[in-house]
Amino acid sequence: MSFSFSRLSTNQRLAALAFVLGLAAIPATPTRGGAVRIAPEELAIAIERKADHVSAPDLADWIIQGRVDFRLLDLRAEAAYATYRIPGAENLPIASLPAAGLALNEKILLYGEDGVHAAQAWFLLKARGHRAVYMLDGGLEAWKNLVLYPRLADAATPEARQRNERLRSVSLHFGGTPTAGAGEGGSEPAVSAAPLPPVPAVKGSAAARPAPKKKKEGC
Amino acid sequence: MNSHASTVDLPAAVPAQRIHAGPAPYSNPYLAGIGLGLVLLAAFVFVGRGLGASGAASAVVAFGLNAVAPEHAQSREWFAGYLGGGFHPLKEWLVFEVLGLFTGAWISGLLARRVLVSVEKGPRVSKGVRLAMAFLGGALMAIGAALGRGCTSGQALTGGSLLNLGSWAFMLMVFAGAYGLASFVRWQWR
Amino acid sequence: MMAPFLKYGLFNEEVSLVVAFVIGIGFGFALERAGFGSARKLVSQFYLDDMAVFKVMFTAIVTAMLGVTYLSWIGVLDLSLVYLTPTYLVPQLVGGVVLGAGFVVGGYCPGTSIAAAATGRIDGLVAVAGVGFGTLVFAEAYPLVKSFMNSTAMGPQTIPQYFNLPYGLVVFGVVLMAIGGFVGAGWVERRVRAK
Repeated sequence: MSFSFSRLSTNQRLAALAFVLGLAAIPATPTRGGAVRIAPEELAIAIERKADHVSAPDLADWIIQGRVDFRLLDLRAEAAYATYRIPGAENLPIASLPAAGLALNEKILLYGEDGVHAAQAWFLLKARGHRAVYMLDGGLEAWKNLVLYPRLADAATPEARQRNERLRSVSLHFGGTPTAGAGEGGSEPAVSAAPLPPVPAVKGSAAARPAPKKKKEGC
Repeated sequence: MNSHASTVDLPAAVPAQRIHAGPAPYSNPYLAGIGLGLVLLAAFVFVGRGLGASGAASAVVAFGLNAVAPEHAQSREWFAGYLGGGFHPLKEWLVFEVLGLFTGAWISGLLARRVLVSVEKGPRVSKGVRLAMAFLGGALMAIGAALGRGCTSGQALTGGSLLNLGSWAFMLMVFAGAYGLASFVRWQWR
Repeated sequence: MMAPFLKYGLFNEEVSLVVAFVIGIGFGFALERAGFGSARKLVSQFYLDDMAVFKVMFTAIVTAMLGVTYLSWIGVLDLSLVYLTPTYLVPQLVGGVVLGAGFVVGGYCPGTSIAAAATGRIDGLVAVAGVGFGTLVFAEAYPLVKSFMNSTAMGPQTIPQYFNLPYGLVVFGVVLMAIGGFVGAGWVERRVRAK
């Protein structure tokens, strides 16, 4: 029996099309689950450009400005987090990172003790398909050295004095202490001397990071 | 004699059916369905949510009530979600979508010559009775949509296409409820 | 992954309201095109002589469903960012019956009542008013039904998840069901009209 596609009515053609599309959809995996896709070239270029680095002073500025468009994740263990955390940071030990259910479109800023865990977590999240993942350059060490306890150079020029003022006010804002004089080999006060910031997400512009209000999205 | 009488070209004879053109026939339901499906898909792709109608009604009612009787409105827990800080119906996505719904339906109706101020009813039923039934139906739908977390647009269409379990259950029950009651209200259309 | 565009930052909330309006226009246009601005046509579904409601609805569902499946399969659409209403099984079953009853009594569903009002149908406008009234009544009664409403909460659940079936297989199943339904609907229409 000869079969001619053109002899079908519109409705029948639509039905045939739907059938074919439905059949072809059987192997579909719309929810990727745990699958991971890595694009080495892309990642290598991003790494070289250092596009995903955020410096500690920049982060300090963002916190002071009250930016809430990103999530700050502390990758250390709970005990370390309880002792001290950067204001606004959420604790997410690196082992729990894959299961944390981070949305792919969130801006995420990672930090650990130094930069290593952040870099490794960066890789994990990029492989998952997260698009906006950043690392705190130098981790908590850099935060301590550059923000909490900055070394103020001799203020020779007006610019240098301004710079020192800025560093001093930022440091005090976060409860740190600026140390004067470059090259001084003074020992760093232990971090536990720095006052613990209030628990995030409750109050204050710098410390609190209220989650953006959930918009009603139903019918 | 006026020899300057210009010959007026009469307009070409208009076929009788154009003069008395009634409403255009409805579209092929499958084509209309594809159009509707593409609109829904656009909502998913552009905004990450589906269509809806009952939510807009709740938002508008909440806002309206809050304007005339704020204490009463704010004491109703159901409206709390709509009256939370910074709420304004002009900022609600669904309200805008419903305004568009109204506009789009109007445009389609104009194009198809189907805009007609009228009451749809059967010949043996009075307008008043039919309108009372419409009102009652609307009220029932509001309750059903509140319980079901959506109406046919929000649950059946949106949830249906996303294979949402509750939506399919809801949709099946809508058909069941409607078919179940249909014969009891058929007199409206006779 | 670039979509949903709003959630990937392509535009902001204000622009999304304009998008809402435009999408709404498409929605209303399609509804009216199908004849759903008319109560008569809508309720004909339930008197079996015109199954347009079923045809339009399920064609729309299949179209959007296939679109979502393919777009997320190729990685353009992030399905996890498309809002899925949480399932509350029993309240939704009951709500469905009530909505269905209201549909056949009033002759409209909430969306089509607006479409009808837009084309001048006073009964559509009155139905919209009824929806508003029903909302007020519900708000008063809410504390009484609140616990019922939140019972059998299952969170966002899809059919493939719940029955542990491959997503694509369910999609194919829905397509088959729709095609079968359309064939059956046509058959029923012809039988009923012939009477």
